[in-house]
Amino acid sequence: MPRLSTLAVFLAALALWHLASNSGLVSTFLLPSPRTVFETLIELAGSGVLAKHTLVSLRRVVSGYLLAIAIAVPCAALFSLTPALRRLIEPLLEFLRQVPPLAMMPLLILWLGIGEAQKIGIIVLSCFFPIFLGVRGGIAAVDRKLIDVGTVCGFSRSEIMLRIVLPSALPAIVVGLRIGLGYSWRALVGAELIASSAGLGYMIVDAENLARTDIVLAGILVIGVLGLITDHLLRDLIQRKAPWLAGDLEMARA
Amino acid sequence: MLEAHHLGKSYRLGDNEVTALADVSLTFPRGSITTIVGRSGCGKTTLLRLLAGLEQPSSGELRRSEGGPQRIGVVFQEARLMPWLDVAGNVAFGLRRRLPPEAIAERSRAALDMVGLSAFAEAMPGQLSGGMAQRVAIARALVMEPDLLLLDEPFAALDAFTRRAMQNELIAIWQRKRPTIVFVTHDVEEAVLLGEHVLELERGRVVGHEPVALPFPRDPTTAEVNDHRRRILAKLTAPSPASAPLPEAAANAIAT
Repeated sequence: MPRLSTLAVFLAALALWHLASNSGLVSTFLLPSPRTVFETLIELAGSGVLAKHTLVSLRRVVSGYLLAIAIAVPCAALFSLTPALRRLIEPLLEFLRQVPPLAMMPLLILWLGIGEAQKIGIIVLSCFFPIFLGVRGGIAAVDRKLIDVGTVCGFSRSEIMLRIVLPSALPAIVVGLRIGLGYSWRALVGAELIASSAGLGYMIVDAENLARTDIVLAGILVIGVLGLITDHLLRDLIQRKAPWLAGDLEMARA
Repeated sequence: MLEAHHLGKSYRLGDNEVTALADVSLTFPRGSITTIVGRSGCGKTTLLRLLAGLEQPSSGELRRSEGGPQRIGVVFQEARLMPWLDVAGNVAFGLRRRLPPEAIAERSRAALDMVGLSAFAEAMPGQLSGGMAQRVAIARALVMEPDLLLLDEPFAALDAFTRRAMQNELIAIWQRKRPTIVFVTHDVEEAVLLGEHVLELERGRVVGHEPVALPFPRDPTTAEVNDHRRRILAKLTAPSPASAPLPEAAANAIAT
């Protein structure tokens, strides 16, 4: 449950928005009132348009995010276990990390077309590095003293990895996962704004072309709420499965 | 029986080679309790890490005679509990999964009983005091049913009262189970209170061996304990120990 102070901040932002659009200082065309936007939202929901675009976007985020996890976690584990490989490849990865994923968009469109693969590709590129660096950093920071405990217990290398290294690295992994999730939403909307025929990003850019700022704002609100909900679900899952990580979760506010 | 023959360990620090341990030959008779005392940096922990197999010697060797220790338990200076496991999970940590779950639970319960923490089986490490965490670490070592128990200043961070209680607990466990114990400390009184044999270590060399034939539990205020303390302190504070020839007793520190 959100705290009262959190609700108060949201309500205050809503009140400011209401005042700005109703005071006449800002044109209602540029900034429709909250009431108009909520009415538009209800209308979009009623017609099924919102559900259609939301489902398309959600499917892309989930696919891209899971694919990024499936690539980043084994890559990071492999790099951590083989220092020679890490020294060889890491400078190249560092170079790629500096390139904003959206700058890769023209290339991805050429390589993968304008279908789902390109959008999921952008999401994978966006959340790969936070997840990869989270796992790498987590493994690198494992306390040698805990590994000593495993050694005196007679554990094999794989037992030490599974029973000590991975659980120890979990706080940093969780931070990477949460930051990655936030990045995946940002990348998705970017991808849908540029080349798409469905999804919340498309809904927003289509509304802009029709000069429907109320739909633009409705789309932005939905994306924000979906981001909050998915982040909350991930936090909830972590808190249930790994309650000792409660403190580390706060580090992951991207 | 566990024997160290001319054990040496050196490390590279930049361009320098630092000798942590030099030509240490020791014998630990089965079921004995030996304390190793010396100031910080004298090589105590290095010796214990070699005995535990956590490091390999630069020279010399360790020998385990037939019937010698197979299962080793180690208690470190810090509790080193896994923060993601509760107390019971930490105690059972070293037990392999091939043991049936009931056997693991039974052995963990018995070990927790031994250190008086049965009521805290479900507590998380963050909820324990320093003394309790260290008792969990001892239980984790005991649950392995070790025939060699190595302890590296395990009570150093505890207050005087908890420390005394833990020392008595350790002696009670030793009397019940009779593992071979090697206990490292920088506290001379603790070394005398716990050891049948006290080895004095200075700059990586064994500089003395003090047999202590007093009954357990020992009272730190008695004249006999004080005599032993005084003798050990005299040897440890003697001038230029590194250049002094090794006392005969130290060359093969424990007569067997």
